[in-house]
Amino acid sequence: MRRRFGAVQAVDGVDLELFPGEIQALVGENGAGKSTLAAIAYGAVRPDEGTIEATGAVGLVHQHFKLIQRLRVWENVLLNREPKRGWTIDVAAAQARVRALGATYGLAVDPDAVVETLPVGIKQRVELLRELDREPAVLLLDEPTAALAPSEIASFFETVRGLAARGTAVLVVTHKLAEVIAYSQRVTVMRAGRVVGRHLTAETNAEAIAREMVGGEVPALAARAATTPAPLLALRDVAATAGISTLANASFDVRAGEIVGIAGIEGNGQSALADALAGVVPFTGEMRFAGEALDAADSPASRIARGIRVIPQDRRGEALVLDWNVRDNVALGRQRVLARAAYGSAALEVIERFDVRPPNPEAIVGMLSGGNQQKIVVGRALTSAPRLVVAYQPTRGIDIGAAALVQSRLIEARNAGAGVLLISFELDEIFACADRVLVIASGAFVGAFERSTIDRGRIGALMAGHQ
Amino acid sequence: MNALLRSRGARDALVALVVVFGVGSIAMLLAHVSPLVGFGALFDGALGTPEEVAETLVQAANVLFPALGIAVAFRAGLFNIGAEGQLILGGFAAGWIGAQLPLPAFAAVPLLLVAGALAGGAWGAIPGFLRARFGANEVIATLMLNVIAILLTTYLVNGPLQQGGAGASETAALPRSAYLPDPIALVGDPHLTLAYLGTPIVVGIVLALVLRWALLRTVFGYELRAAGDAPEAAKRAGIDLGRTALVAMALSGAIAGLGGATIVAGSLHRFNTGLSPGYGFIAIAVALVGNLDPLWIVVAAIAFGMLQSGGIAMQAEAGVPREVVSLVTGLVIIALAGRRVVARRRTT
Repeated sequence: MRRRFGAVQAVDGVDLELFPGEIQALVGENGAGKSTLAAIAYGAVRPDEGTIEATGAVGLVHQHFKLIQRLRVWENVLLNREPKRGWTIDVAAAQARVRALGATYGLAVDPDAVVETLPVGIKQRVELLRELDREPAVLLLDEPTAALAPSEIASFFETVRGLAARGTAVLVVTHKLAEVIAYSQRVTVMRAGRVVGRHLTAETNAEAIAREMVGGEVPALAARAATTPAPLLALRDVAATAGISTLANASFDVRAGEIVGIAGIEGNGQSALADALAGVVPFTGEMRFAGEALDAADSPASRIARGIRVIPQDRRGEALVLDWNVRDNVALGRQRVLARAAYGSAALEVIERFDVRPPNPEAIVGMLSGGNQQKIVVGRALTSAPRLVVAYQPTRGIDIGAAALVQSRLIEARNAGAGVLLISFELDEIFACADRVLVIASGAFVGAFERSTIDRGRIGALMAGHQ
Repeated sequence: MNALLRSRGARDALVALVVVFGVGSIAMLLAHVSPLVGFGALFDGALGTPEEVAETLVQAANVLFPALGIAVAFRAGLFNIGAEGQLILGGFAAGWIGAQLPLPAFAAVPLLLVAGALAGGAWGAIPGFLRARFGANEVIATLMLNVIAILLTTYLVNGPLQQGGAGASETAALPRSAYLPDPIALVGDPHLTLAYLGTPIVVGIVLALVLRWALLRTVFGYELRAAGDAPEAAKRAGIDLGRTALVAMALSGAIAGLGGATIVAGSLHRFNTGLSPGYGFIAIAVALVGNLDPLWIVVAAIAFGMLQSGGIAMQAEAGVPREVVSLVTGLVIIALAGRRVVARRRTT
């Protein structure tokens, strides 16, 4: 297979074989071409060169669910294949079909439920059922566990194993190497559009796969220096709502010179917490920063002026002006503080310290890779004398090298005396960076651990809502 | 995206020309007029004599001001469809105040222009305030305010402020001291200079240069563009979106209102209900054709002025029906603006 997008050779001469009954993992960094390859196999992207042969239908479950939120489960599952009775849809038959499908595969869902009311794990079942209704010979799963709790991940892979046992060929596209080791029989590693390794999973390990993905050693994180934590941010009974994200009750402190990690599954109130700290949603309860109260009157501008830097989750939608160049984006948030003539040097500092490529302040941000865009967002926050950094998924969707750089800079900011609140859905990231870990589930804080007392199993259970 | 749009510029223009001349020729043939004679009259009528050049520049200025105002709002992400109403109200304020106060020229002309800008600015600030305070959709608000502005001024000049008897829908004539130098009347003047040839267009071009500088080089312009290009990121960067909406709409309306005042002081010399044959709407197309860049809007406005003044000649000299003239004008706008919309959709 070959496929080029503009100047990027996304997939460059890749062969891939899937056998009935196997679970194969396809791993690689962001931009390695694995999602493009899956889209080609599914038929959503036409290859420039190459052929596809399949013994039956090919199904694809997307990383970000492609469900119609306002419609019911059966409407989503049977979209465009609805059983008809003359001119109308046979609703009873449709519901029965979805129920039967769920019973067959052990994926019980109420066919009449409206999708937007369902928890993430159930939405994924709906997404899976939609593909299974077409009885695919090949099932492609693109980052299927991104939004699942550890316990949900286990039961999800039980289902996948059941499918494979029935003779379905399964390809799991992922970057979570623990899942690769635990659940796949074969693993294919991609880098820069090419296959750089094919292994029987039993004959390799996570470290070796990671080295292959990166094309060298995985960079080490910055060392943690000794600091003397001092009070900085205090939240007491803070509650807030941002869209569908609800924070029910948050009471915790972040001290200067420490990284506090918030562990939790996506959709458990993290967005409301980040937005309440950024000052873009109203909140109740008490928030104090450096001894002074923060309230609804403290706009984002006033928080920025006090040294609070929020790195939003969605760099493209919430942090960057994609049509603008790097220089003007680096100034965003400090446009009134920085002199116009200083925009360029501020941008050069970010480019230098964060290794932004290309190193050109005039480059249009929308044309940069996700990793370089993220370096600009993080760099802008960390080079502007931050006192508190709220980093919400700061390494989302960026490659291992860029992620290590971002994490190192966060640790350096902590070493230099800033308080860091790290909100992440990746437990490994939190364990690598945080001095303390707080666990959030259903908008409430359900556990607290010091770095020395971190218990991975216990945290996983708390994240899933088990006490 | 902007770089992409500009790279498509040459192709856009070519496609537009082919569409305009192609469809325009067919329409003329159907009306039994030779396209060569018809289009020849268009260019000759727009640029053939100094008087015609002056007319072209007057027509260009009439759409330039509202187009610049529209560009300010659009750059801030606000679809100000209300330039027509803002322009009419600005013209009304200039005409009414100008007729009330006999003042020397050095005071009268600036006073009229300021009055027009303030009235248009106030009219633009209303939807800006509604948007900032209640999140009201500015498209609907500005569209409705157009109707109110037209009917309000029509009522005032037919009722409380009626002048001249015989049911004329206009305010009293301005004193001569309040006239802008009239480009057309000055054509035969031996003291004619280029600056006099088109006072309004010169003011408009200076304004375009100032606006461009303000948009690209000042913190005000930076925040306005951030609010328009990425509102969520702008909000999180401490930019007050409500305040930006209010200021941008007021400025947008003020520029359109200033345009209305230049029409009153420059050529009508009083306000009447025929002040604008829809300049505020045509200006939307001019602003978009000019890629919301003040300099390109000047170019687009001059092209439009040529179409307007040349169109009269097309009709009078080549016998092209009025409908075909309107068709050609419409074609130019659709061809250019349409291409731009297509390019924009492709990239987002």
